[in-house]
Amino acid sequence: MTTLNATMDHMHMGNLASKAEPASKAASTSSRPLTQSDTDSDEKLLLDVGNHQSREAFNKLFERFSNKIFAHGMKITRNEQLSKDLVQEAMMTVWQKAPLYNSDRGNVQSWIFTLTRNRCFDMLRKQKRQPLCVSADDIWPAGMEDSESLVERDQGSLAVEFSNIERFLTQLPEAQQAVVEKVYLLNLTHEEAAADLEIPLGTLKSRLRLAMGKLRQLIGTSE
Amino acid sequence: MTTMKSNLHPSTEMLEKFVSGDLSVGVNLAISAHVEMCDHCKSAIQQIELRTADQWTNAESSSPAVYQADTASMIDSIIATPQLKEPIEEESEVGSIHMLDRSVKLPKVLAKAASEGLVWKQLGAGISQADVKIDEEAHCSFLYMKPGSQTPVHKHQGTETTLVLDGSMTDELGEYGKSDFIFRTNNDTHQPRTEDGCLCFSVLDSPLTFTKGLARLLNPINKLRFQRAVGSRVS
Ligand SMILES: [Zn+2]
Repeated sequence: MTTLNATMDHMHMGNLASKAEPASKAASTSSRPLTQSDTDSDEKLLLDVGNHQSREAFNKLFERFSNKIFAHGMKITRNEQLSKDLVQEAMMTVWQKAPLYNSDRGNVQSWIFTLTRNRCFDMLRKQKRQPLCVSADDIWPAGMEDSESLVERDQGSLAVEFSNIERFLTQLPEAQQAVVEKVYLLNLTHEEAAADLEIPLGTLKSRLRLAMGKLRQLIGTSE
Repeated sequence: MTTMKSNLHPSTEMLEKFVSGDLSVGVNLAISAHVEMCDHCKSAIQQIELRTADQWTNAESSSPAVYQADTASMIDSIIATPQLKEPIEEESEVGSIHMLDRSVKLPKVLAKAASEGLVWKQLGAGISQADVKIDEEAHCSFLYMKPGSQTPVHKHQGTETTLVLDGSMTDELGEYGKSDFIFRTNNDTHQPRTEDGCLCFSVLDSPLTFTKGLARLLNPINKLRFQRAVGSRVS
């Protein structure tokens, strides 16, 4: 169990480093062309849906993606009614899972594409009455690092070492430092911290998890 | 599950089809299980996902039927549903297969596929098979070869996807170990054998034909078995 997590942290650290992010906001830049103003990027819209339940932002995402979701449905199922149902199912998932979106793992487009593919797969199997013991989310699991919730479990042991933590904190990537400071130094809830930093809740949780893993490593190796 | 270096991976083309959702369920399972054991393919898939999504987002709509619906009421009904703050945690059952001489921990997706129970039948010559009825278009099964056993020489009419889950085996073309992903198209004739025993997940999109010796007697039976596994379709 422990080795597994260490490997994941390590992998992800590598990713972050290679992205060379200058500030905490950099990671939330979407890959959309720059012609689209920052306030209206897919990323910003999804953030408003996830952090502020914005109907207006959801409307815009719906306008932008419903035709594409429909087109994917037609390509795979060749059935208009199923494809319409897919638009509803996929956009419902966008709404419900918006707080879980993790911008460190991919962009909004790939997030919506993969959830569309997954809903489509499940719908089609249901329609064909095929066995449902394996679902799309089993076949295409979301980021492997999301499967473990280590943060809560390790809070205690980290608190004991608090005097040393600030020294270790500076060794984390800036984006992770920011998250740790909001949650552990300012005692904000995860939701408050995400809104404060203007990052998705899912991103916050993932960064927190990585930061705690890294801190644990640093503390472990310093003794 | 620990990740390890794997020698044989799905081709880039297969990974692309996997990402875009164009493969049969059985092959999806084999690739997914391989990816769980393979960091190399894991990161390849992240890149392919970005590329595929980019093409998807920027494609001109070629579909003749443009999406039309009463979007306002659909949006109303959607935003009336609660949002998730935490991913839905599934209690993951430990998926192991117990063989005579070993117990093998399965990749998660295969553990799920096997969760309704496996019925092993002897195919003879130290080889056992347990079907997984999950794909109407392909025959999916776990295959176990006892140490020192070898399959009869056979030929594929369609494609055969094999993922090595434990142990090792060899055939005319090479040696395969845990997490190796082997994809064979029709007309490859081969005869896998194993020294130390081997557990595989296998996906066939048409029946095997045995090409040598007494095993040829099995061919009619094998076709029948395939039809049964595939479902009610009659040839
Ligand atoms: Zn691989």
